[in-house]
Amino acid sequence: MATAQALATSAPQAKPKIVVQDINRVFHIKKGRGEGARDFVALKDINLEVQTGEFLVLVGPSGCGKSTLLDILAGLAHPSSGAVLIDGKKITGPALDRGIVLQGYALFPWRTVRKNVEFGLEVKKVPKRDRKEISDRYIKLVGLEGFENRYPHELSGGMKQRVAIARALAYDPEVLLMDEPFAAVDAQTRETLQDELLRIWEATGKTIVFVTHSIEEAVFLGDRVAVFTANPGTLRDVVKIDLPRPRHNSDLRSSAEFGWVRHRVWELLQNHPAEHRVPTERRPVADAISPSAEL
Amino acid sequence: MTKSIDTFKHLLLRWSGVLIFLGLWELAPRLEWIDPYFVPPLSTVLGSIGELFREGVLVSHLLISLWRGLLGLVAAIAIGIPAGILLGWRYPLAAEVLNPVLRVLSQVNPFSLLPIFVLFFGIGETAKIAVVGWVSLWPVVFYTITAVRTVEPVQIKSARAFGISETDLLVRVLLPASLPLILVGVRIGAGLTFYILVAAEMLGASAGLGWLVHNSAMNYQIPRIYAGATFIVLLGYLLNRGLMCAERTLFDWREAIPGLVRDRSHQDTKPWIAPRFAAAALAGLMALIVVAGSVEVYRANLQGGEVMPAGGHARHFGQPVGE
Amino acid sequence: MERHQLTLYKILAVGALLLLWEILPRLGVVDPLFIPPLSGVLSTMFELFASGELGKHTMVSLVRALSGLLAALLIGLPLGLLLGGWFPRIQTATEPLMELFAQANPVILAHIIIFFLGIGQTAKVFIIAWLCIWPITFSTIAGIRNVDPALVKAARSLGLGRFRLFLSVVLPSAAASIFTGLRLAAGYAYIMLIASEMMGASSGLGFLVVQSQESYNVTRIFAGASVITLLAVVTDQLLKLVEMRLAFREENGEDDYVRMRQLAQGALV
Repeated sequence: MATAQALATSAPQAKPKIVVQDINRVFHIKKGRGEGARDFVALKDINLEVQTGEFLVLVGPSGCGKSTLLDILAGLAHPSSGAVLIDGKKITGPALDRGIVLQGYALFPWRTVRKNVEFGLEVKKVPKRDRKEISDRYIKLVGLEGFENRYPHELSGGMKQRVAIARALAYDPEVLLMDEPFAAVDAQTRETLQDELLRIWEATGKTIVFVTHSIEEAVFLGDRVAVFTANPGTLRDVVKIDLPRPRHNSDLRSSAEFGWVRHRVWELLQNHPAEHRVPTERRPVADAISPSAEL
Repeated sequence: MTKSIDTFKHLLLRWSGVLIFLGLWELAPRLEWIDPYFVPPLSTVLGSIGELFREGVLVSHLLISLWRGLLGLVAAIAIGIPAGILLGWRYPLAAEVLNPVLRVLSQVNPFSLLPIFVLFFGIGETAKIAVVGWVSLWPVVFYTITAVRTVEPVQIKSARAFGISETDLLVRVLLPASLPLILVGVRIGAGLTFYILVAAEMLGASAGLGWLVHNSAMNYQIPRIYAGATFIVLLGYLLNRGLMCAERTLFDWREAIPGLVRDRSHQDTKPWIAPRFAAAALAGLMALIVVAGSVEVYRANLQGGEVMPAGGHARHFGQPVGE
Repeated sequence: MERHQLTLYKILAVGALLLLWEILPRLGVVDPLFIPPLSGVLSTMFELFASGELGKHTMVSLVRALSGLLAALLIGLPLGLLLGGWFPRIQTATEPLMELFAQANPVILAHIIIFFLGIGQTAKVFIIAWLCIWPITFSTIAGIRNVDPALVKAARSLGLGRFRLFLSVVLPSAAASIFTGLRLAAGYAYIMLIASEMMGASSGLGFLVVQSQESYNVTRIFAGASVITLLAVVTDQLLKLVEMRLAFREENGEDDYVRMRQLAQGALV
């Protein structure tokens, strides 16, 4: 069902950028003290396609496998079975065609902002002069001009994540993978960063796969939202977000449409068996959003 | 304006204890509260230090001691850091399993090792350097293992996502990330080194600061004892402070991590030496010690110095009459 | 890996070390004059034990070490508590002085100390005590200073007066740090014990080692050294057990890391 939904709601145009085929990931956990080993199914039969230039969000509760899937996409983890194809080619490990932005203290504290951004370029052995030019460009893109020679500990949480984004983008990967990058910053900075990210996305046209457990964030950012459930980690559904773009610099978050879509996603995350649910499409909008609203 | 007055008052408070102590040291012997034969006043001791300086004796022994200490420390680092990285990074399970073994080995009394090393290496420099190296090996190894294990996993993960080689990961990411804690281990090793060295020199050597103090005691040159002892205390203090300062300078990218760096209110001020310069200066100083020290050691051995009896150790303080 | 499996491997590792100690010297891989085989060392130890020598020396050494340690505790702990908790200004004033004193190598000081105390039991105990006071004092001060302010706030809001606060909140929090200092001091006590016995004594394990050195009896040196090491390890483990009981901390790998942070923060040696 998930597969059909995914393909149906994505209106296939050109060949998809990323194809996730039958991914399964099982962890064998040995318990101590006499209990036998047990299998933890982190991901089960995941099938998904991401179009070029799309902003796809993976949302779900803790333990639903979304971070694991991202790791697999990055090449940092291997699936127990199944494969991931990028541009039709199977991925075997981490590479420079994908960039990753993680949550937490991911910047290298002993390097300045500029040197952090240039990390990937150094690895790629880009000559020094070119490195400076490129890092200048991306530092400007994330709005940190003037901070090139600062160290991470001198920056605020929001600024650090911008550096992380610049670092991931600097060697021009085609895909950007983001694992709850804004989870560790305060609410207001978070909204600012979300706006910034959308701006950067529209300026660079990258394909982005974004993981979060915030429904708000998912609906605000994504073209489509893939909803995951836990135990075992399965892809329940993919919701197309029809909200207009550009979404940054607007008050979209307080609009009724936003609430409506958000509610749809929220419902998918609940554990009601399908039969007992009244599908949202059939219920009056007002009821879905708030029982006491009068529209 | 008020800030500098406050700082001055603070400094005054901090050093008041020392000043009072020094004051007492000068007065008590002079006023005969303490027998000045056994405890000469501060001024006499300082004069003695000056004398030793002028004779060139102090510098000579200082260089010898530093030379031994440095070589021992370098040996410990050369073995300890690679071993620590190997255990902490590549084989953490082995590190866990070997932990009890290593801890027991680290608790082997260095003074009891001294006779063993002396019997094996002879009464030469090697035995002392070996003991010093042994003593400083353990902090270096333990701290390196911990340092490597406590590197932020997100940083490693982010670096890995670039698809870099394991070597690159080690050199570009792991090493810089773990360096601060490794250096804490080195600093502690250096402190232990200095400590054990001075003591070991007393027990069996013909030169060095420890020997100087011991020799003065044997010849009842009491002000010299104090001179040597005071100098050693100052040196140890400066050494530790200097290393802490170097740590702070080299790692000015680190924020004040409570527990790792002594909490000072002026932590925010930028160090007044650029890190690169400081590192170069440190390296230069060490090279100087090695070279100059070797010269002194050569000379000392050539001159024969005080010859110790065959056991490599003399009974001190006369034959004690029971305990 | 399971915890029990891990413990098994640890025991095996120690066993392997002992095995190597036996085999390598016998095979000549390691010069047996440098490192005698384990069996030789053990038999010498047994000999010494049977003749009563080992017992006598061990007792003497143990008494010296523990007296010194106890003295250091009795002086250092209250000192640390007072300075750290009650008189922070005095603490600031005396801190540089104490740092300097901590640098004063008691082996060096011994020459001065004998002028006052002569060569005898008192001198040795004093030397050990002098060395051990500083880690205890510094770690006590550090422990008090690092009490979680949130805890203090919570206790204050419950209406605890200053003294009760100290007793029921500050002290238990600082206990971990204090114990770290104590364990450190215990280690130093043993090191210093041997040094002081090597410098001038007619009994004790350090004396035994020195005596053996002069007669080139390597096996005896090793026997003595092993007993000393054993004492140090056992004391350390006992203290660890007491610490776990009193301070309610679980045995985990973080233990060492905490100890290291303490070392880096306060103690100079």
